[in-house]
Amino acid sequence: MIRTALRYHAPDDLGEATELLHTHEERAAVLGGGTMLVPSLTRGDRDLDHVIDLRRIGLGEVSSTAGGMRIGASVSYARLLAAQPFTGATRLLQLAAEGITGGPQIRCQGTICGSVAYANPSSDVPAVLVALEAVIHLRGPGHSRAVPAEAFFLDAFTVDLRRGELLTGVTVGARSARVGYYKLKLAEGSWPIATASAVVPDAGDSLIGATVTLGAVSARPLRLDLAPLLDGHGRLPAAADVDDWVSAQLGEPWDDELAPGDYRRMVAGVVLRRALQRAQGK
Amino acid sequence: MSHTQPTETPLEDAVPARELSMTVNDRLCRVRCEDRHLLVEVLREQLRLKGTHIGCLNGDCGACTVELNGEPVKSCLVLAPAAEGAEITTLEGLALDRDLDPVQIAFWENDGFQCGFCIPGQIFATRRLLAGNTDPTDAEIRSALAGNICRCTGYQTIVESVRAAAAARRDAPDHVEKGT
Repeated sequence: MIRTALRYHAPDDLGEATELLHTHEERAAVLGGGTMLVPSLTRGDRDLDHVIDLRRIGLGEVSSTAGGMRIGASVSYARLLAAQPFTGATRLLQLAAEGITGGPQIRCQGTICGSVAYANPSSDVPAVLVALEAVIHLRGPGHSRAVPAEAFFLDAFTVDLRRGELLTGVTVGARSARVGYYKLKLAEGSWPIATASAVVPDAGDSLIGATVTLGAVSARPLRLDLAPLLDGHGRLPAAADVDDWVSAQLGEPWDDELAPGDYRRMVAGVVLRRALQRAQGK
Repeated sequence: MSHTQPTETPLEDAVPARELSMTVNDRLCRVRCEDRHLLVEVLREQLRLKGTHIGCLNGDCGACTVELNGEPVKSCLVLAPAAEGAEITTLEGLALDRDLDPVQIAFWENDGFQCGFCIPGQIFATRRLLAGNTDPTDAEIRSALAGNICRCTGYQTIVESVRAAAAARRDAPDHVEKGT
């Protein structure tokens, strides 16, 4: 049982929601799917007076845009998967959503934007959105703004959200590319230890223009342009050289109870190579 | 020294609470709950539907699974007020007329139950799987059940039960599962 005298709000519009957030500031939180917030309240990890549920605001749709798709703040993984077809690079979202830990229940409850706001380094979504050069849409009292995903994730569990602001959705472009997703986790119910999202332009065997975004190996998603690694034909060097290069890019690796930073550094290159192989259909 | 008599704070002021209406197992229910109550707590304590179990309270084990507006959810992750107006099916709702649901029958006949604690998650996850795929591979079955932890470690017979439920569904393609 939650021990604090929590007050539940389900505002009908964004104006009311942002006003509540602004008024109650650090004593309030936004409720998306609830898969992170609710158990943290039950455990007593978070002490809040107000929870603001987005369910009545109408942010539960996936829609097509001129260059891709927009995912509303209340869209669950299951709803996203039902919104097929995924085209071009947006297939990365499909690959990640299909493999979300926790089975069908969590895929029906958890939301893409909830994962963005939580910004757990060991989660799938932040790095996938950085790989897709997604844009995060925010609404605050009397204003709206949009932030590139790469700039939105400031640190572990820290995002560029200002007082009274909430996420209304994300947009991703459907540029033509081959994509590959690889996730390493050591148990079925575990958070990822390392993820890699590969985006390879449609150009045969060449990796010219390819990027790989690593997740769960550092506090923020790490987007790597492979250009410095490639030979004149756009091919990778030997595996050991790739792994050394990736390790050198990593800086301070993410370290938690699931895996020490040194382990994450060791596997980062392997995970990157496997994502590229999947993108190339190997 | 003077003593001031403490003022008694009405419970309503101390703990936000509300009337909650939802349809549970085809029956309209109105209960009074505190805003901080979890859906699983209201189902078990107010509505006395003990087939929904409390395991981890962390979204890991799946023992508290119910169908909420047709989708399987872990009810320990749902604040009760968020279920206002919802249609909920608990494990009891699958056998309202005392005939077991075909998925329950498959589990019964294939020893999918041991202690039965994890059964809400296993049954509802199976229903979700078979609603979209009546011929799943073992890998697909294990993936569909991944959000449920069997403390008896009886996974092999659970997988066999899902296989049998799928076969039964293929043999009776016109059959509509209860609540779907």
